[in-house]
Amino acid sequence: MSAPSLINFILKRPWLKRALTPVAAWWGNAAGYRQLGLRNDDLIPEESEIVQQALKRLPEKESYDRIFRIRRALQLSLQHQLLPKAEQTKPEEDYHYLSPIIRQIEVEIKERNDLDSLKVNKRK
Amino acid sequence: MISRSALGRNAQHALRRQCCAQPANRRGFAAAASGSTSFSYETSEVDSVKVASRDVAGPTTRLAVVAKAGTRYQPAPGLTTGLEYFAFKNTERRSGLRIVRESELLGGQLLAYHTREAVVLEAKFLREDLPYFTELLGEVISQTQYSTHEFNEEIEPTLHLRQHHHSAVVSELALDSAHSVAFHKGLGAPVFPSSATPLDKYMNEESIYAFSKSAYAKSNIAVVANGASQAELSKWVGQFFTEVPNTSAALSGGATKYYGGEERITNPHGNSLVIAFPGSSSFTAGTSYKPEIAVLAALLGGKSTIKWSPGFSLLSKAAAGFPGVSILASNLAYSDAGLFIIQFDGSAEAIRGASIEAVKALKNIATGSISKEDITKAVALAKYQALEAGQDIEAGLVSTGSGLVHGGKAFQIDEIGKSVQAVSGDKLKAVSKALLDGKVSVSAVGDLHVLPFAEDLGLNV
Repeated sequence: MSAPSLINFILKRPWLKRALTPVAAWWGNAAGYRQLGLRNDDLIPEESEIVQQALKRLPEKESYDRIFRIRRALQLSLQHQLLPKAEQTKPEEDYHYLSPIIRQIEVEIKERNDLDSLKVNKRK
Repeated sequence: MISRSALGRNAQHALRRQCCAQPANRRGFAAAASGSTSFSYETSEVDSVKVASRDVAGPTTRLAVVAKAGTRYQPAPGLTTGLEYFAFKNTERRSGLRIVRESELLGGQLLAYHTREAVVLEAKFLREDLPYFTELLGEVISQTQYSTHEFNEEIEPTLHLRQHHHSAVVSELALDSAHSVAFHKGLGAPVFPSSATPLDKYMNEESIYAFSKSAYAKSNIAVVANGASQAELSKWVGQFFTEVPNTSAALSGGATKYYGGEERITNPHGNSLVIAFPGSSSFTAGTSYKPEIAVLAALLGGKSTIKWSPGFSLLSKAAAGFPGVSILASNLAYSDAGLFIIQFDGSAEAIRGASIEAVKALKNIATGSISKEDITKAVALAKYQALEAGQDIEAGLVSTGSGLVHGGKAFQIDEIGKSVQAVSGDKLKAVSKALLDGKVSVSAVGDLHVLPFAEDLGLNV
């Protein structure tokens, strides 16, 4: 399941976007996951069928990298350490690699439900 | 509460709908329909897409896109099958699920299949839905996404099941083996990849996508319809097939050459023996069409035309002493070659005995010791079979489409009837002698300890 977000609301209003972009950048760094070498999409809880399905659809390389990042972060967390500055996730590396797939699966499920509860009007 | 006036209004509405809301052009079963009863196809070319139709009277239509992309033309194993399985999956405009549900709502049926020469995408529907399904087929061949997750989640597992199934059907295996022995490459490629084929190496969504670009190019497809007028079909094809790729790089498998030989495959699931000779190409090819072969197949027979009786054909007489064996003689016609096969299925011992008798029967034809009456019967049967095949809508669709994309003519059954009628006993004798003198392809699948070698049957490979 993708995390709830106001992104569409904000993107529709340019002034709001301009105002919030620096805040978002600050928040991204302050949240602390980048210091552990994670990406934002690594934080999506994976205990749901949709996310499990999305993980299966990841390309092999992405999937491998994701597991690597998570294991490294776990190790760092145990050792109470942060990654050296050079290895931390840079803002431009922190892109959405999983949530587009999740959204696609959600759309598929919604379409199926809509078609299942479809009301048929006979052609006149 | 529903008010009385509202109820009344609804009732009025319903009544009105029943009596007069139907459009004037809607046709019931009893009304005289437009369209000819002729079984010949009208052909034309719309925007460099070949279009053929015959306006058979009736409330339903069958529409097919026939692409010259069968296993014969695939650049690597499995691509044709992959292309077939990707039909009616997600496109740029709508999902595969929506395609299926929408056509269900219209009462249509969609199917995709392939032969050695063609990939066929077919839709069956009510006559008035022609625009919808023409658009759908145009969309499927030009805008399918060929996405990775569909390949991994749907195509590959289904294909593995199909391969698994194929490896247990000995008659299919024997036919494939006979083709590969007879033609090596091209027509010799198996219709379905066997379970031992290393598909991962060749087949993925990208290679299938690349293949689809040339397979579904405008010059490579024909749109064939049964039960639609040529004018209407041309109009919709002109409108909806604009995004079909226009590449000129045609797929070519090279000309077919007959080799002959023998192959024996051990298999625990049953027994099958195929004896194959160079046969007649399909009628649409023109020059290499030999009506004698069709008559020879009818004379040897196989499947009985009379229920609950083995029939009176030569092969059924040969099989009489060997209960449980089924023999079928037929000519598999392709665009530039053909394979005349005699196929035996049953227990290994019965196949052994029956095949020796069958070859004897063929030798009798070659020496001319066949009664005139038998030949007359065979000509009549062959003519009936050819005409029936032309009249049969499905066979007509595929053979017409293949004929058009291979640059030949449409399937015209009047001419076939004439050419079959002209076959004489002498011609039959000459043709069967030539078959026996030439190289034969023999494939045995099953219990190889019992199944005969070509040598045992007195055939030279």
